[in-house]
Amino acid sequence: MWEGVYIGVTTAVMPFNLLMLFVGCFAGTFIGMLPGLGPVSAVALMIPVTYGLDPSSGIILMAGVYYGAVFGASTSSILINAPGCSATVVTAFDGYPMAQRGQAGKALALAAYSSFVGGTIGAIFLIFFAPMLATVSLSFQSSDYFALMVLGLTAVAAFAGKGNILKALMMCVLGLMLSTVGTDRSNGVERFTFGSIEFIDGLSFLLLAMATFALAEVVMSVMDKSTDAQQSKVNNTSSLGSMKLTKAEIKEVAPTMVRSSVLGFIVGVLPGAGATIAAFLAYGIERNLASAKAKLGFGKGSLRGLAAPESANNAASTGSFVPLLTLGIPGSGTTAVMLGALIAYGIQPGPQLFIDHPDVFWSVIVSMYLGNVVLLILNLPLIPYIAKLLEIPRPILIPLILFFSLTGVYLVSFNAFDIQVMVIICIAAIGLKLLDFPLAPMLLGFILGGMLEDNLRRALLINDESLSFMWERPLTAVIMALAMLALFGQPLLNFIRNRVGQRKEQDVFDSE
Amino acid sequence: MTIAKNRIGGLIFLALSLGYGYSTTLIPMYPGDEYEIFTAKTLPAVLAIIGVFLSLALLISSRDEQKSELPKLDWTIAAKLMGLMVVYGLVLETLGFLIATTLFLLCGYWLLGERRKMLLFFCSLPLVTVFWYGLTQLLDIYLAPGAVLQWMGV
Repeated sequence: MWEGVYIGVTTAVMPFNLLMLFVGCFAGTFIGMLPGLGPVSAVALMIPVTYGLDPSSGIILMAGVYYGAVFGASTSSILINAPGCSATVVTAFDGYPMAQRGQAGKALALAAYSSFVGGTIGAIFLIFFAPMLATVSLSFQSSDYFALMVLGLTAVAAFAGKGNILKALMMCVLGLMLSTVGTDRSNGVERFTFGSIEFIDGLSFLLLAMATFALAEVVMSVMDKSTDAQQSKVNNTSSLGSMKLTKAEIKEVAPTMVRSSVLGFIVGVLPGAGATIAAFLAYGIERNLASAKAKLGFGKGSLRGLAAPESANNAASTGSFVPLLTLGIPGSGTTAVMLGALIAYGIQPGPQLFIDHPDVFWSVIVSMYLGNVVLLILNLPLIPYIAKLLEIPRPILIPLILFFSLTGVYLVSFNAFDIQVMVIICIAAIGLKLLDFPLAPMLLGFILGGMLEDNLRRALLINDESLSFMWERPLTAVIMALAMLALFGQPLLNFIRNRVGQRKEQDVFDSE
Repeated sequence: MTIAKNRIGGLIFLALSLGYGYSTTLIPMYPGDEYEIFTAKTLPAVLAIIGVFLSLALLISSRDEQKSELPKLDWTIAAKLMGLMVVYGLVLETLGFLIATTLFLLCGYWLLGERRKMLLFFCSLPLVTVFWYGLTQLLDIYLAPGAVLQWMGV
């Protein structure tokens, strides 16, 4: 393992890779700060840039962008109460009240320190757990992979929130449907091309990611007049105040940071759970653990209330790389985009990545940690200046983002038809967003679609064309059972609760 | 405007799944495929069935759904930006990257309300030229000059 860490360190500290890390963290912070554009959009916007780089540098750049974007999203949560992504919604609960009290600098510093602790603990866990899981998963067969992909898709839907499970599942299915467009990889039959040569190679992952997460988000932000009001708030954020924390304050938040980081990492490893749930959980647990007096401070600028979600979301971001690197299954929308980028490089994440491309595997892990260091020593002192970048007029910024999105896709395919397809997908994505359909599960379904079909086909061939592998092979059966539990566990629990509640009401009524 | 989001979403997805299912029947098969358990049609057929099932489940579960208010959005600007992107895609290969992108940015800034002439100029032509130079000269990426410039002999 230490040999791997050494490979990772030597790759990550190469001058060019360090430069990529700096550029990534800086660009990510800037993009993440823009209301409406989160880490997924930031990473998607960077993909075309990474195509010209070697895989390690490309992934290091994207990891930097990921961390930077989460940090940038926290910054806009604290400064203007406009979370850049769902994972930093909780940050605004206590961060924004602190900024209103004139303690924006302290809130930003605390967010950066918490993120650093979360990232550090996450990276340490990643160093130990990722190779372990990769070694175990070497014994996985096609049927296990098929089951894991079903688990990944159902888990994403299960964590989509109350009332959204069906919609998230529908989006997974839509993604799978889109993945079947083009030539069937096993026998060369054309599917859903409708005679057009433009679709023979299928839809491009980059096109789909850019259209749904960059174009649609930007156009939505232009349509929504409230984002203009948010920019005027940015223009009012002239002074951030002191960034120093006292010893007593550090002592108060240190245990919170450690607890939330461990929790965040565990939640992040679960496919589909991700940073948002980790942040909410950590905030809830910290409030429950607090004394009655401290509890009252939550939501009004509590230091612990800010440190908990920030540590948890960063540790969860690191944790979500465990299933991506070891099993090839993304745990979140951002890691799904990264998976697509890795596949475009010809690198298949999974247990073989650990053996075939140790430089990529370890340099990602090491750069995760370096990304945190860069954020702390470079971005934090620069925040007042980066915040100034947000003062670039939106009429200039928006067309530039649209241009980078469109050109990013065009420069890969050199086919102007792709721009028209992007516009159509963008319109569809805006419609889906207005109808409250989550888009990340669609991207996950699209990316996993090809692999899911290949593994199911192979599993059927190995098992004499019988589906019995789902219950006869113990490992597959366990994973399938977990998938079913993820899917039906919550609705079943709700049903039981309702029945019990009804019975109790009936008993009360009878006794009266 | 108020709409029943789940019912509309369910109906759209139902139509999509039925259309997808119908298109699945049009996928060509090789001789002997009828004896195979897994063909090019298998996964699409399963997905169409799951799609129909999920849409019906959403429609049934939202029988008592209250209509909800859509956020107030500026649809005109969205339509203009979409139109601009479509036109950009159509003229990109005719006008060439330099001219088409400069015009795209200029129109974009203008549509979003920017009227300062110096800003309009400096954020379009010089910026696109630097980007174009970086791509073609530094990264060695070939960008076709476009039919118009070729016709003019550039």
